[in-house]
Amino acid sequence: MNAILNVKVKILSKEEVAPNIFLIKLSAPSVAQEALPGQFIHIKCNVDSYPLLRRPISIHRTDKEKGEIYILFQVVGEGTKLLAQRKVGDNLDILGPLGNGFNIYPESKKIMIIGGGIGVAPLLALCEESIRKGKEVRVLIGALKKELVIGEENFRKLGAKVDVATNGGSYKYKGLVTDLLERIIKEGWLADQIFACGPKPMLRKIVEISLVNHIDCQVSLEERMACGIGACLGCVCKIKTRDKKEDKVKYEYKRVCVDGPVFRGSEVVWDD
Amino acid sequence: MDLSSEEARWSGMIDKTCLEVEIAGIKLKNPVMTASGAFGYGEEFSPFIDLDRLGAMVLKGITLKPKRGNPPPRVIETPSGMLNAIGLQNVGVEVLIKEKLPYLKKFNTPVIINISGDTIEEYVELAQRLGEVSKEMGVAGLEVNISCPNVKKGGMAWGTDAKATYKIMSSIRKTTTLPLIVKLTPNVTDIKTIAQAAEEAGADALSLINTLVGMAVDIDSRKPKLANISGGLSGPAVKPVALWLVWQVFQTVKIPIIGIGGIIKIEDALEFIIAGARAIEIGTANFVNPRVTMEIIEGMEKYLIKNNIKDINELVGSMKI
Repeated sequence: MNAILNVKVKILSKEEVAPNIFLIKLSAPSVAQEALPGQFIHIKCNVDSYPLLRRPISIHRTDKEKGEIYILFQVVGEGTKLLAQRKVGDNLDILGPLGNGFNIYPESKKIMIIGGGIGVAPLLALCEESIRKGKEVRVLIGALKKELVIGEENFRKLGAKVDVATNGGSYKYKGLVTDLLERIIKEGWLADQIFACGPKPMLRKIVEISLVNHIDCQVSLEERMACGIGACLGCVCKIKTRDKKEDKVKYEYKRVCVDGPVFRGSEVVWDD
Repeated sequence: MDLSSEEARWSGMIDKTCLEVEIAGIKLKNPVMTASGAFGYGEEFSPFIDLDRLGAMVLKGITLKPKRGNPPPRVIETPSGMLNAIGLQNVGVEVLIKEKLPYLKKFNTPVIINISGDTIEEYVELAQRLGEVSKEMGVAGLEVNISCPNVKKGGMAWGTDAKATYKIMSSIRKTTTLPLIVKLTPNVTDIKTIAQAAEEAGADALSLINTLVGMAVDIDSRKPKLANISGGLSGPAVKPVALWLVWQVFQTVKIPIIGIGGIIKIEDALEFIIAGARAIEIGTANFVNPRVTMEIIEGMEKYLIKNNIKDINELVGSMKI
């Protein structure tokens, strides 16, 4: 495990990149040095003690040279609302980098990255790392509508081939991003690894598709979180246990904050 | 120790402050303990604090066999607090002994094990097992959890009835010579009768309060926000309730009290001590500020110096009415 830091970091810039979706750049040299794609930071959103708990936010991009990290998040409640109101120049109290991060195998040649909605947040750093390692990368972005398609150009600038699906068809492919994935597989582009982050039904479908096509798949999960460092056991998800003696699916609760947020798709138990 | 307190020392007001307290026969270098469930097995906090500086560590509640816990969502923030329904997920006592306690042995800080069970026999067996290994593995004492609101059997059932409290505590008392702390629930009509029953049954100290039972509802889905429906409320929201109960129990029993409930800063800790707590446990605040225990220890020393108090024990229960 890498070092976990509790530091105050300065907000260098803030931008509303889509309705209610914010991109914040932080000066955080120590965290930037340690951060791996797929990790997150745990942020005290406000200066006083409301809201009480920190909020876990994915690291969107890391610039090790400049010592900067970017976070991309959607305003969904009180914590993220207050975070979006913080000003350039403010200091944020953060813990991080936290979690395990994505695992890109050295032998993989083709990588498929799939983000649904704000789920693209941890994937830009992953895309950058995959390309740095010489992989051929395709990115699929799914969104409800055109205004909520995030990061399309940024992925493309890194050198990935990017396809977009919108539910209503207001932009590019009409339908679900998982339909797009199936189509691409049918066309014959088979990845060695799929990485995905987004709503649970999307992740579940992607894992199904990956299993049918024998593609290794890693998904990034989220859950209500308190401590972020594995102590409170609040943010658990159901993970299959390795006991193969019984037919019944056996599971245990694993912590999203330290055992995840990235899990092998095949080991996640999806509840109805 | 910062410069200002150092200066106060040398200015001759007082030459030495004493933060040492004794709880259930266990000597603590200061009154700051960690609350069970909020500090994992200790190691999780080692990146942030020196575990050697803590008064004592109370570890995540343990049961005889590993426990899977409740389905998620297990935690939700509420005004000035949080609800949790973890359901005592833990590795079980044997894994605790083999994998968690060895790490803590290198620290010069008493380790207190919080124990839970479905039946009296399970509590007794746990106490026996931990008694057997106490010297070798460095178990300083037990905190008996008769107040967990998030499990179906056992848990809080023992702590809401004075007779049941007496029964379970006298059974555990007979089986172990380890110091026994009893963790009390606030979800009762009269906490004083429960506290008395625990004292009569041979408890060496009381810790209070465990969480208050509560609930939160999602108005869009009309579902409870916790999968378990109810959960335990902790954090600053519960502090006034906890203080009042500590004060009442302080007037009722002779054994030391450990104050718990919403302590996030030094002032909160001092309130509990003045209201009768000889030590305090810090819970939810660890999730927000992993260094909070250290900050509170430093704050205590400063307070004593500033107020010309030599010994923290002078402050215990010193509320003027």
